[in-house]
Parts: sequence; C-alpha cells; structure tokens
Amino acid sequence: MFEEASEVFDNMFKSSFPLTFIVFIPAVLILVSPLPAEAAHEFTVYRMQQYDLQGQPYGTRNAILNTEARTVEAEVLSRRCVIMRLVDFSYERYQKALRQSAGAVVIILPKNMSTMPQDIVQQFMELEPEMLATETIVPVYFALEDDELLSIYTQTLTSSSSQGSSSAAEVLIHTATANGFQMVTSGAQSKAVSDWAITSLEGRLAGTGGEDLPTIVLVAHYDSFGVAPWLSYGADSNGSGVSMLLELARLFSRLYTYKRTHAGYNLLFFVSGGGKFNYQGTKRWLEDNLDHTDSSLLQDNVAFVLCLDTLGNGDSLHLHVSKPPKEGTAQYALLKELETVASNQYPEVKFSMVHKKINLADDTLAWEHERFGIRRLPAFTLSHLNSHREVQRSSIMDVRSVKLSRNTKLIAESLARVIYNLTEKGAPGDLQIFTEQMQMQEEQLSSVVDWLTAQPRAAQLVDKDSSVVSTLEYHLGRYLKDVRRHYVKADKRDPEFVFYDQLKQTMNAYRVKPAIFDLLLAFCIAAYLGAWPTHLTTLNKTLSSILLTQRIKCMVLTFLERSFNVV
Amino acid sequence: MLGLAHNQSFECAGREDASKLVGEFASVGLPGNMTLFHFGNCFALAYFPYFITYKCSGLSEYNAFWRCVQAGATYLFVQLCKMLFLATFFPTWEGGAGVYDFVGEFMKATVDLADLLGLHLVMSRNAGKGEYKIMVAAMGWSTAELVMSRCIPLWVGARGIEFDWKYIQMSFDSNISLVHYIAMAAVVWMFTRYDLPKSFRLPVTVLLGLCVYKAFLMELFVHVFLLGSWTALLVKAVLTGSISLCSLFLFVTLVHSN
Repeated sequence: MFEEASEVFDNMFKSSFPLTFIVFIPAVLILVSPLPAEAAHEFTVYRMQQYDLQGQPYGTRNAILNTEARTVEAEVLSRRCVIMRLVDFSYERYQKALRQSAGAVVIILPKNMSTMPQDIVQQFMELEPEMLATETIVPVYFALEDDELLSIYTQTLTSSSSQGSSSAAEVLIHTATANGFQMVTSGAQSKAVSDWAITSLEGRLAGTGGEDLPTIVLVAHYDSFGVAPWLSYGADSNGSGVSMLLELARLFSRLYTYKRTHAGYNLLFFVSGGGKFNYQGTKRWLEDNLDHTDSSLLQDNVAFVLCLDTLGNGDSLHLHVSKPPKEGTAQYALLKELETVASNQYPEVKFSMVHKKINLADDTLAWEHERFGIRRLPAFTLSHLNSHREVQRSSIMDVRSVKLSRNTKLIAESLARVIYNLTEKGAPGDLQIFTEQMQMQEEQLSSVVDWLTAQPRAAQLVDKDSSVVSTLEYHLGRYLKDVRRHYVKADKRDPEFVFYDQLKQTMNAYRVKPAIFDLLLAFCIAAYLGAWPTHLTTLNKTLSSILLTQRIKCMVLTFLERSFNVV
Repeated sequence: MLGLAHNQSFECAGREDASKLVGEFASVGLPGNMTLFHFGNCFALAYFPYFITYKCSGLSEYNAFWRCVQAGATYLFVQLCKMLFLATFFPTWEGGAGVYDFVGEFMKATVDLADLLGLHLVMSRNAGKGEYKIMVAAMGWSTAELVMSRCIPLWVGARGIEFDWKYIQMSFDSNISLVHYIAMAAVVWMFTRYDLPKSFRLPVTVLLGLCVYKAFLMELFVHVFLLGSWTALLVKAVLTGSISLCSLFLFVTLVHSN
C-alpha cells in the first residue's frame, strides 16, 4: 500500500504545483500551530507582595508556575503546587510546604470574609507579617473561592490523602479514574517596575488677620497594605484617616468662608502616598518644602502636625508622641482639648497619650509623625491602635470601619476648641460646635470609605493617573485652595523602595492523567486492535460455513418468500 | 524516571513501600510530551482498523488505492453539495433552547440521501465484482470522513494538556463509522441490482432507510432518554452492528444464491 501511496504522491508532485501547495501548506501550518488552551477552570489569582525597602527584599520573588496540584496532606510536596483553604491554614503547614521546596502555594480565601469566624481571621492577620518578613522564591498566590475551585480542591484532597495508604491495585485503579490538575499561570516572570511615581496631594485654607500666622498641618496616608496588594482594601487603615481628613476639610472650609468664624490659623491638609512603605510621600514633601523652597508654610510657624492613622474602629484613642508636649504649646492645648471632649461628650472612649521615642536604628519608622519629628516639627499621630506593630494596620482582612463618625466628631470638636481658643474663653466641656447647619455628614463619611474600599489601594497599584488620586484631588479642590500634586520617585542609584509587577495573574487548572494512564490505554488499544483481524476472519468463516449448507439456504429463501408474499 | 524507580524497587522492602512506590510513580505528573502519546493512542485507535480492513479484505492486490482516493474525493463533493443545500433551504431555526425540533431535524436527515447517491455513483464507475466495488467505495468514503471530521479535532484537542474522554470516544466512533459505511455500500449495491429477488426488496429498503436515518435516530435516543456519552456510544455500536449483520446476511445469501 505504501508503494501505491508514494506513486500517487509522485503524480501529484509532477502534475501541478498549485495542488501540492494547497495540500502541503495547510498541513505544515497545522503541524506547527501553537496549542490552544482550553482549561477545566480559569480563575484570577493575586500574588503575595514583592518589594524592596531600603535595599531589603520582602515577600515572594517568583511569579510563574506550571506544576501539578496537591494539598498539604500529600507525602511529596516538592515541585508541586500546594493548595490550602483559609479554614485549614496554619503557619506550620505553610512552613512545611516551603521546607519541602514546593513549586507554589495557593491559598483559597472565601468570597465573603465576614462569614469567617473571628478567631480564624485574627490568626490569619497575625500570620501575614510573618509570611512577608522573610523573602521566599516560592510564588504564593491567593484566590477567591468559587464552586469549581472548591471541587478542584476536594478532588485534589482525596487523591493526595489516599496516596500512602492503599494497596498497589487500588492505586492503579485510582489513577485510571481520578483526575489530576495541572496549574499554570499565564504571565511572565516578575521584574522591577522602573520610574514608579508615588503621588501625594496637598491643599490649604489660609487664616485671617496678619502675615505670620501659625499653621496646623493635618496628614493622612491614603495607601493600604496587606499580604497581597490586589486584596488590600484598607478600610480602617487608612481609609478611615482619609475620609476623616476630607470631612474636616469640608467643615473647616465652611467655617472659614464666614468672616466671623475665619480663624487665625493656616490649615494645611496633606494626603500622602507610600505611607505603608516608610512614609515615602511625606519624606519627600518635607525635603522639598524645607530644603528646596525659599518660603513655605512648613518653614515658618508650625503650631503642630496631626497625623490621622487608623481611626475607624475600637473604643479607645491614643495620641502617639515622640516627645511629651510642653505646657503652653499648641500641642499641649490639643492634648488637653482631646481629653476634655472625650471625657465630657464621649465617656465610652478611653483616651490616652502614648510616648514612644523615635528609634532611628529601626528598619522602618513607627508612625507618620516621626517623619515630622525628625525635621524638628511638633507632630503626633492619633490612632485607636495602641502600638504601630498591631497587625490591623497591614492586613487584607481589614474591610470594616464602624466608629468613624464618632471619632471624626470628637477630633473636629477638639480641633475647633484649639483653633478658636474656646477653653480660655470659658466654653464648657460639653459645648458642641458641629451641630445643625455645621452638622457632620455621616453619610458622606461612610460613602467615602465605601468608595475607598471598592478598589485596592496598595502603593504599587496607584500610579499618577489612577482614579483614586484624581478623585481625591477633585474632592480636595472643592473645599481647599491651591490643591497641588507632589510626586516621589525612587532614587536611581540607591532606591529607597522598589516595586515589582505581575501581581495579578490568570491561573488555569488543566485536568491531567498520570503517565501510567496512557500506558494502560495503549495496552488496551493494542489488545482491541489485535482482536480486530481475528474477529473479521472468524466472522468470515462462520458465515461461509453456515451458508454453504444448502438446506439452510433454501429454508431462508422460502421463508422470506412466504412471509413477504403474505404481506 | 524509570531507572530511578527500578533502583528504588530493589532497595525498599515490604508491601507498603512497594505500593507507595507504585503510587508515586503512578501519580507522576504528565510532562508535555506525553500528551503526544495520548494523541498517538487516539490516532492508532481510529486509524488502525481501516488499515487492517484494507489489508485483510484483499484490496491491496487489486491496486485499489487510487480508486479509494477517488471515492474520497466524491465524498468531499457530496458533502459540499449537501452543505450548500442545507444552507440554502433550511434557515436557522429560532425557537426555544431546550425544545428539539423533530420535524426540522428529520428533514435535514433526509438530505443524507445524497450519501446514497454518492456511493452508488462511486460503485457504478468501478468495474468488478460486487465485493470489490463495495469495499472500494466504503473504504474510500469512510477514510475521507475520518480525515475530514476527526483528524483535526484529534490533533488540536488530544495534544493539549487538558484530558478529556471525548477523544477516545471519537476514535471509537470512527471504527463504528467504518462498519456502518461498509453496510451502507452493501445495501446500496443490493438495492440497485436488477436481479434482486422480490422477497429481498422490502428488507433491503428498510435497511437503507435505517442507514440514512441512523444519525437522526441516535440524536432522538440521546435527547429522549438523556443518555451519557459512553451509553450513547454503546447504543450506536449496537445499532450499527445489527444493521451491518443483517445486511451482511442478506448480501451473502444473495451472492451465494446466484
């Protein structure tokens, strides 16, 4: 048959060139075509943080993976993708996967975090900084759970946990019937993003009555942090701070429009970026204002700098200072006013001052006011957290902010009492200024927080064209004057911060069968094919042996004639 | 990989270790080149029966290769005409999604009568014994169908990372089609014989109708009884087997009675 085939092809070649062209070019194209991907399931995964801060690398270094899936119960984890659910997550299991040099780790998070019991959430929040503390080459991904992902997980769990326990025959049957899954990411290897500009915004309200007025600076950083940048929504830290800053800007701009309430203080509002990366925005802003400009509000007469950081939950308020304020300063006045307002109007709030010296030997600064403190400006940070190391400041589980309106009112009242010098003028402790027309707008506060938490605001994701920055700029522009943007880029030779890309990927899960399955199948097909010619010959023999018998032939013919003649 | 497994099997003792070893070997992930092995499996399953049938039926002695290719070309032409006809006269039916249009599908299946005409055309152009004509027509026809409708999905799909049982099913289906087309060619040949006894007319016509509407019947079964893919394949095999046995029986009776 092959000789005939070659003859035919020879004729084809000799006869006409277009015919061979038509036949062969599509064949060649099909042979070299790339394989289309048709996966069992395709889902989005979010990578763990990867960044360098002051030369120190943090987080996971790798982004690509193409490995088979297993769960932690399996015996062999090396070069496999380990899938874990949040409910089963523990640091020991995570360490076990890393120790056995797993190919990747994928952690499945429930779609609705609020259904998780509180202790699991708390445990995970405490593990986040530990996971980030050391750099690892194993790519760690987070995925949100859906039905198909859950079924993939349960199938992988059953096959992983049955590996060591059953007999060889059972294992063989199991491999023929069960599905394995191959997890493949579609992106490239991660690399450093060059020329990333962190944006900060400033705006001011000028005071009245003279040239050299004292300035009060209100600062809040708008970026959020978590173990995965695309999942950091940061409702409390620091969505609450930004929202409070905007509300304060609105209230005081209203007060400043009327001549009678126009106070003798300049108010400078600063929404800083890169706050979670050692306050890069603030650092550069200070350098620009103090070192590179001739005259700036920050140089002349700063009463104090109040930083708002994580004020959305809890029933306590702490004023973090690096030096206890001296009597007679505006700082001291604010401290006293806060105590007064808290004790008179909000007795459920426990207010205290926390004194922590700036430690320049630490890797990162504690609170934002320390940046100002280093430049000898009187500053403090207000927060409901007791310590800067608390895990609520940098968690992906931070999605709620419930006590914001009460805290905003408290701080607004205290600020007003300082600015208008109300205690000296004899105003009682329970006098409420922001009522009726000057009422604080709670709905606006909560809607700003909702808008801020609608998108992840990690510093690596908010570039200067981002909608977060432009919306904040617009809102500041409604209340403040001289709204300006301020950019900070990392230094070329000795960068303070380096961000990496490939933080969000699409992962495909392909159903695969193990190698032995193909061999089994080949055996079965060979047996089936081997039987084919024998079947044909036996059929041939039986038929001819049956029908060579005359009698049966006649019987068949007469039977047919009779039955169909009747019809 | 195999060498390592071999060494380990000598060193470890005890059944648990052996079973663990088998488990580990069995669960080794599928490298990229093994998917080509799977394609090879499916292709062998689909193509080898054709090859074996060609060899065993003695067609190679008659230099029938070029005639089979001609039969295949006729198949292409007939399919093209059928497609044009369907596209022109049967507009797309905009009805509900789940309702099965029995009448419409029945009409579409009637167009498959063109297949019979095509087979008759092929057979009439080939001179020779009845068996020779039937085998040439059937081999060429079914090989053309194999190449056109199954090779490309197999190449594209079975080579991919994702595993699906449908490729094995497709290969089985091509085997069943081979038998079906042999039976169909035999029935067409019997139908056009001038010396066909009257008693044979009716069963031959019935078988002819079954051949043409077999696809329609299969879809009906699957839709009404909601059969799974393996069950549908089994039903199809049984149906084709019975049709082909009946037609073979009638054919041998006819040939040996002359």
